[in-house]
Amino acid sequence: MEPILSINNISKSYGPIQALKNVSFDVPPGCVFGILGPNGSGKTTMLGILLDVLKADGGSYKWMNYDNADEARRKIGSLLETPNFYHYLSAMDNLKIAAAIKQLPSDDRLDVLEKVNLTQRKDSKFQTYSLGMKQRLAIASALMGKPQVLVFDEPTNGLDPVGIAEIRELIRQLNAQGHTIIMASHLLDEVEKVCTHVAILKKGDLLLSGPVDEVLRSEDQIEISSNDAQQLLTTIKAMPGIWDAKISMNTITLSCDENISTADINRYCTDKGITLSHLLLKKKSLETKFMELTNN
Amino acid sequence: MQSLLSIEWLKVKRYRTFWILTGCFAFLLAIWNYGISDGFLKMGAGDVNILSQAYSFSKVWSNLGFWTSIFVVFISVLIIILTTNEYQYRTNRQNVIDGWSRLQFYHAKWFVVLALTVATTLFVFLLGLVLGSSNGGFSDFPGDIEKLFYTFVLTLNYYSLGLLTAILFKRSGISIGIFFMYNLIIETLLKSLINWKLDFKAGNYLPLQCSDELLPFPLMDMAKTMLNIKDTPSMTAYVIVSFVWIALYYIIGRRILMKSDW
Repeated sequence: MEPILSINNISKSYGPIQALKNVSFDVPPGCVFGILGPNGSGKTTMLGILLDVLKADGGSYKWMNYDNADEARRKIGSLLETPNFYHYLSAMDNLKIAAAIKQLPSDDRLDVLEKVNLTQRKDSKFQTYSLGMKQRLAIASALMGKPQVLVFDEPTNGLDPVGIAEIRELIRQLNAQGHTIIMASHLLDEVEKVCTHVAILKKGDLLLSGPVDEVLRSEDQIEISSNDAQQLLTTIKAMPGIWDAKISMNTITLSCDENISTADINRYCTDKGITLSHLLLKKKSLETKFMELTNN
Repeated sequence: MQSLLSIEWLKVKRYRTFWILTGCFAFLLAIWNYGISDGFLKMGAGDVNILSQAYSFSKVWSNLGFWTSIFVVFISVLIIILTTNEYQYRTNRQNVIDGWSRLQFYHAKWFVVLALTVATTLFVFLLGLVLGSSNGGFSDFPGDIEKLFYTFVLTLNYYSLGLLTAILFKRSGISIGIFFMYNLIIETLLKSLINWKLDFKAGNYLPLQCSDELLPFPLMDMAKTMLNIKDTPSMTAYVIVSFVWIALYYIIGRRILMKSDW
């Protein structure tokens, strides 16, 4: 299938600082694509370029099959960095302007405000909103016209825990309805919970990109423990296919070949006369991966 | 054009500052000119009112044009505020994110400048009709109505320079400050310096000065005739130079917006 977004060798510098270095990747249709990276890694710069508020020094991008980027943007719902609205206008009036620019054929302002729980405050001026409400309004604005593609930069910024959960649920629902979602985040937890694909940026370099499962698959770890942890450690280290075993708090964490299953380990230990009190297959968390990738 | 302007209208129609500034401009311009024609506002030493006779149709457009050239600064400030608001609220970015091209954003602001210029000219025309007809009737109508066209040119010059200033400086305080400093002090200094250094009055062709020359203080005409001073540069030259500056503002603003990050 044709990608929703194709990015080709995009570079951008701010004076001596290179914010993006020849970044290329594709966003497949129907996914929740996370752009992950620590602060200052180039996430917002990348989205800014894709939405034409920043100019790239080199490279190109293409949205769906649109040759005209302005037309493409009208079909994309976006929230970039901060909610940008006219402070002296109400939510309804602000959305009216956005809808007019997007040339939307029908008025669905009330529907989208309902989705983000702002119906009661629809006629209040934007300047009276709390940070979380501003963020909700920005999300509502992005949802107008049911765009095929949604771009969210730090969508849960400024929201309370309930709000964060609601927005995550909304993203999942939208994805289930067939919308492609591209979101930037420095919150690993967020990406891990909602994304199907991920691209990791560090100081402007693309470290890796691909489906979350694939990126993490070879990194599984197995946790085991028994009454005598030291004995278990000696025994398990001798097992073929195990290449590392670390003990902490009486729990042993194993790194092993891909073809070794938890059943193999259980059988091996039983054969050696050890009964396991704990056996757990742990997908290596994105956080560990992220730290490894970005910390050196 | 219509769709860009209708979106700009959505932005201003519930903006109180917009109504206060346009309202003040219209009210003050009307009451000021009425005051002079009626004689309760006296221009001149002591109790002499040297301008009161000049509101019949033969001279009403020169008088109105001159005072408008001073009052338009109100609306220039309004244009600066409307434009810097976009930067301050980052709605310039949002407009583009939502699907305007950068050029559409820029043209929308130019259409606001044009619309306000036309509105100002129309208002001055109506004011002229009222004052002229109540000071000697319609017998001399339309009188020196070419001054109404000069008012249009001058207004367009002031408003579009306001727009460019806002695009250059992005913050409202600094933009308004620079605009006033240029209008009141810098240009006067430059003009005097240039005209003093050169035989040719090149200082008269500075950005705002070239339009100011179109609408001098009403009695200057009379004084010049009395002293038999031949006006060197023609009004046509000032009109052309005004349009050249306006075109230059457009080109500079466009280059800045198309090339820079927002």
